[in-house]
Amino acid sequence: MSLTFLFRTVTRDAAKVGLSQHVQLLHSGCHLRAADKALLMKLRKSTGYTFINCKKALEKFDNDVTQAESWLQEQAQKEGWSKAHKLEGRKAKDGLIGLFVRDQAAVMVEVNCETDFVARNEKFQQLVKNVAFATLAHHLNKTQTQASYIKSVMQGEELNKLSVGEGSSLADQVALTIGRLGENMSLKRAVTVGVPPEWQIASYVHGDVSCHNEMAMGRYGALIIFQGGKEEEREALGRKLGQHVVGEAPLSLGNMDDLPCGESETRLLSQTFLGDPSRTVAEFLRGKQARVLDFVRFHCGEVASEKAE
Amino acid sequence: MAALMGVRACFSALQLSSPSLLHSSFRLCAVPLSHRTFATVVKKTFSRDKPHVNVGTIGHVDHGKTTLTAAITKVLADAGGANYKKYEDIDNAPEEKARGITINASHVEYSTANRHYAHTDCPGHADYVKNMITGTAQMDGCILVVAGTDGQMPQTREHLLLARQIGVEHVVVFINKADAVEDKEMLELVEIEIRELLTEFGYDGENTPVVIGSALCALENREPELGVNAVMKLLEIVDSYVPLPKRELDKPFLLPIEGVFSIPGRGTVVSGTLERGVIKKGDDCEFVGHNRCLKSVVTAIEMFHKSLDQAEGGDNLGALVRGLKREDVRRGMVMCKPGSIMPHQKVQAQVYILSKEEGGRHKPILTNYMPIMYSLTWDMTCRIALPSGKDMVMPGEDTPLNLTLRQPMVLEQGQRFTLRDGKQTIGTGLVTEILTFTDEDQCNWG
Ligand SMILES: Nc1nc2c(ncn2[C@@H]2O[C@H](COP(=O)(O)OP(=O)(O)OP(=O)(O)O)[C@@H](O)[C@H]2O)c(=O)[nH]1
Ligand SMILES: [Mg+2]
Repeated sequence: MSLTFLFRTVTRDAAKVGLSQHVQLLHSGCHLRAADKALLMKLRKSTGYTFINCKKALEKFDNDVTQAESWLQEQAQKEGWSKAHKLEGRKAKDGLIGLFVRDQAAVMVEVNCETDFVARNEKFQQLVKNVAFATLAHHLNKTQTQASYIKSVMQGEELNKLSVGEGSSLADQVALTIGRLGENMSLKRAVTVGVPPEWQIASYVHGDVSCHNEMAMGRYGALIIFQGGKEEEREALGRKLGQHVVGEAPLSLGNMDDLPCGESETRLLSQTFLGDPSRTVAEFLRGKQARVLDFVRFHCGEVASEKAE
Repeated sequence: MAALMGVRACFSALQLSSPSLLHSSFRLCAVPLSHRTFATVVKKTFSRDKPHVNVGTIGHVDHGKTTLTAAITKVLADAGGANYKKYEDIDNAPEEKARGITINASHVEYSTANRHYAHTDCPGHADYVKNMITGTAQMDGCILVVAGTDGQMPQTREHLLLARQIGVEHVVVFINKADAVEDKEMLELVEIEIRELLTEFGYDGENTPVVIGSALCALENREPELGVNAVMKLLEIVDSYVPLPKRELDKPFLLPIEGVFSIPGRGTVVSGTLERGVIKKGDDCEFVGHNRCLKSVVTAIEMFHKSLDQAEGGDNLGALVRGLKREDVRRGMVMCKPGSIMPHQKVQAQVYILSKEEGGRHKPILTNYMPIMYSLTWDMTCRIALPSGKDMVMPGEDTPLNLTLRQPMVLEQGQRFTLRDGKQTIGTGLVTEILTFTDEDQCNWG
């Protein structure tokens, strides 16, 4: 497992947040004024910063695009922080669950924003990705050896402090994204797991809207830690279990020989299996010679009381 | 009107008590249950003297949607066409329930010289989709608000995608906060950029009307050129650019049958609430549904015990039809203008699955799930097929899906329905496309 890979990705992606999509020249006009306009349009297109700031930047640096750009980036971080303070306290209950599995480790995070418009936005999703990678990197850093099962849960405050290199933290990135997208955002929680070699991690994300193909993001996510099953069936098995956990929202694992107690059953193993209602999850697992050891389910925006029920 | 009738259609589908409507004489229930029920659902009754149009505002957070909405009511209140709604009242609109579904939306109504508008502002994508599905505020056009200081912002893309998804064809742009932009040439650039974006999303970016102004100035009675006048101009443009929806009365008539009676000495009478169009005495008609198709002629129309020459959409009526026996027709069939509507067995629909809090299921829905579909006055078992790539739909989510009915029933694009399982309403939907029923579908019914 390459740690450097992760770190590199995090830093690179962090840098990308502020950067461009495509540069396109508008009217290659001949008047001086028109040239200024074209420059403004170009800077605006390449950075996505507001018209008014792009104009200020060009005026400040006498049309030097490179300087203007780095000033804009500095400015964005500052404005992000002031915006973040201004929006503090506004309800952020929408958002996304981001989930990433690599070999024997996995991370699942929840990042909140105010509306589903923003949840669909590429820049917000970039933030979710950065949070997931930074959390996983932190986890791997702490746990060099992987002899036993490790699960660690982190909450907002702790996540905010995570470093993403170059003296910047996840909180800075959240502020930057708040500045860009104009909605309050917060890091809600994250869970990372690491399993010994003979164990498996399965994952499931419901309602995947991710525009980053290396990571799944949606409104529900589940991680399943299991053992056994035929090698060639494991992927499908894990997926089915993940779907069940998202769909049936179990609260605890239970035991293989617990008796089911009907519709309101909240123990995973005793629940009626979503993929085959003629069996319980335990019966399904027996048939596959598999064993579930643990699971985690995130529903974006769920409140603590809902969990306790 | 369209919205009212849409809502009513689904309610009559839900109320199952109407056999009691069957009186032995040629008399009709004066105020059917369905009317009473829907009166409580649609809170506003629109004045009928002007054509009605539904619009909405979309745009990036803080670009001024709420301020603009308040400004519109203020400007029109001065002209007598609205009640001035303060910014706070618009923003603090309580959650509303439409057909059991919780929607976050604020509604404001106002009239220009030519039209009556219902104006909707929702906080999120899902709320607009719920609005579309329930038909509470179908948008005939929308106003895209863009701050001139910022230009189009990241979310503007998501907004235009949404507008496409919910079928909004006419977009008018309001470039707001012009008062805060010193260099007016920058506003031109904002305009160029937004036109490019509209074109990218399949709208006619070149010819889309763009108005530059300041909602705040209009609200605060400053700089009338950017304020009041710009808002007036925007309204004029919305008046002319967003076409009137086709009036329900201009469509071929459709009467979902609620009851059938036999009047000794006169013949067979069908009763129901006219969904749309106008029926006249002597009109040819056709009965469709439940695997039947019969032609006849309307020989008399009666409403509130009085004989009439014609009835209009929304009217509750009884129609005497020639040459049919009582057993020939039954509840759930429709009486319509011959050839205007057909039964279908497979459709694509946009459906919202009620959350547990809304009284829906707590379990997800998977392909092959078989609820009962209620629409107009019929109900029929149907089988659900989720789109490829989707394993399940969780309660509280909307999704496109395919529905295959056990038997063909009257269905057309734009028709609303509910899905029920036992006593529980589990979802509400809107038919988006009629699909061909294949042999394979037949086999699936076994
Ligand atoms: N200078 C200036 N400010 C404006 C104008 N219109 C709105 N604003 C200000 O912009 C801010 C946001 O306006 P809102 O109307 O709340 O924006 P919104 O689009 O409804 O925002 P959300 O509902 O949060 O998405 C407020 O502080 C307004 O006073 C304008 O024409 N000029
Ligand atoms: Mg608002």
